[in-house]
Amino acid sequence: MRHFRTMVFPYLVWIAIMIVLPMLLIVLYAFTVRGNDVTTFRFTLENFAYFFSDAIFLDVLKRSLLIALATTAICVVIGYPTAYFIANALPTWHMRLVLLVTLPTWINMLVRTYAWMGILQDNGLINTFLEMIGLAPVKLLHTSFAVVLGMVYNFLPFMILQIHTSLTKMDQSLLEAASDLGASNVQRFLRVTLPLSLPGVISGITLVFLPAVSSFFIPKLLGGGQYVLIGNVIETQFLTSGNWNFGSAISMIMAVIIMISMYITKKVDRNASEGGGQG
Amino acid sequence: MKRFFAVLLGAVVLCAGCSSSSGSEEAIAKYGSDTLKLYNWGEYMGENLISDFEDEFGVNVIVEYFDSNEMMYTKLQAGDSYDVLVPSDYMIERLMNEGMLQKLDHSKLPNLKNLVPDLTQLDYDPGNEYSAPYFWGSVGIVYNQNTVPTDLIEEQGWEILRNTDYAGDIYMYDSERDSFMVAFKALGYSMNTEDEAEIEEAYQWLRELNDTMEPAYVTDEVIDNMMNGNKSLAVVYSGDATVILEENPDMRFYMPAEGTNIWSDAMVIPANAENPALAHEFINYVLTYDASYANSEYVGYASSNQEVLEDMSSEGGLYADNEAYLPRMGYEKDEIFHDNQVLKEKLAELWIKVKAEQ
Repeated sequence: MRHFRTMVFPYLVWIAIMIVLPMLLIVLYAFTVRGNDVTTFRFTLENFAYFFSDAIFLDVLKRSLLIALATTAICVVIGYPTAYFIANALPTWHMRLVLLVTLPTWINMLVRTYAWMGILQDNGLINTFLEMIGLAPVKLLHTSFAVVLGMVYNFLPFMILQIHTSLTKMDQSLLEAASDLGASNVQRFLRVTLPLSLPGVISGITLVFLPAVSSFFIPKLLGGGQYVLIGNVIETQFLTSGNWNFGSAISMIMAVIIMISMYITKKVDRNASEGGGQG
Repeated sequence: MKRFFAVLLGAVVLCAGCSSSSGSEEAIAKYGSDTLKLYNWGEYMGENLISDFEDEFGVNVIVEYFDSNEMMYTKLQAGDSYDVLVPSDYMIERLMNEGMLQKLDHSKLPNLKNLVPDLTQLDYDPGNEYSAPYFWGSVGIVYNQNTVPTDLIEEQGWEILRNTDYAGDIYMYDSERDSFMVAFKALGYSMNTEDEAEIEEAYQWLRELNDTMEPAYVTDEVIDNMMNGNKSLAVVYSGDATVILEENPDMRFYMPAEGTNIWSDAMVIPANAENPALAHEFINYVLTYDASYANSEYVGYASSNQEVLEDMSSEGGLYADNEAYLPRMGYEKDEIFHDNQVLKEKLAELWIKVKAEQ
């Protein structure tokens, strides 16, 4: 066993350089003023004060959280039945269906989002079709609808795969036992399947919520230039206004919010599985 | 199958060798290398410009494209080497100040005499010591003459962008530079102002526009959208307006009397260029009548070549009837952008706040 431990070493170095160091830099930037040189730092809380004192930024934050929540909720509602269907499909179909879910992710996300622009725009696929059957065109692109649609489309596979994994890992004999003891199909699902698949749902929620709350190119492409989410504000700080300190401060605020929400979901998960155990 | 590909690959390599060998030795003897690295805007060259140059001088050109001056600057700073760049005025000023450009050798550029006289006296580089203008133009409003009366837009100028009769019916650029330029000019200020009160006023001007007009902030999509007549008003670069007007006869172009931004993109040679001799040859080639004409014909932007500009815009010329083609010259309220990092960052900060408000 001992020599396996030394094999972890390259990985630790990798983590230190690629994950820990950049995080420390973000923290350092967030708490310092602009224009530090390499050796002297002037520490400040100004960057955070600026964020929380401006109603516009708080509005953007609220909007981003709402969009991410909506995306996550829709992904659960669509993702769970899909995963359940795939997990219970005939063995010959099983792998093909999983492949179908993962297939779109083989294509670059940016390209797929551009495709949605073509579908949704004023003279795009949908509106051309509406016109053909004599209906008035609808404004689809550059709306919240388009942004949520783009996010659900891009992140849904993560949700389906997570739930699917936990459903297939489930011991089928538990279901047989439940039937033997006289549980109906509905009872079987509610008392056995659902509680056992919750960990998958929870990790699916984490995997969808995190990218959704910080995505900047989906709102940019599908929401238009006037659709600003927190990811766009951070992007601007780094790319155009060059205020890395403020950008880092917002990133840190986001990191804290994400950590808190992960803590809460974990807690819900633990309570739920304990409840399931007792039931 | 593998074998087939190997043979195919061999054939391609051989062919590449034979086609370029004819002129390349000559080119290497003359310029030191037969390869030119060009870094230009996308969709900014005549269809055959590169292949014609390659054929005529027996060289290879490697072209890369950028879509913003800042992107180009970042790559340059990262140490990438190019022989010719085509940045905009304020970025050239910045590159000059930071010593990232080399002086042009005028003895190798006889065609500089073809330049539009105004473009030889641009105040960031008078006498074209560092830069040879490529395209130039202004920023104005493209409007649909069926929905926007010409006398109304002439009366209101930039303020028409806040005329609520056209709420939900306008495009603006998603760029702090262009949007604040509009606000500063509408308020009668210089777009290079550093006055805090004037900046604040311009910020409020844009906030009100954002609040009352439901503008769509776009980039190059504005071209297709205005060709299709999707909205009545749009702030557009004159070169793109030329293309829109060619395609859609309902559209007209107006340069507000309050003044606008006159910009130019110019060819420069970075200090770390590997092949400055061939770079000069290329710049000189682009300034010839034929190359300039082909460029301007294909892209629709105003040529930096005086003769081409005259031929295109005068009676019988390709863009004679296109009011967007010829930029306004010598109007005192028009300005060019100067490099000012502090101002630029400040405006970027305010611009995201304008957009974020809903």
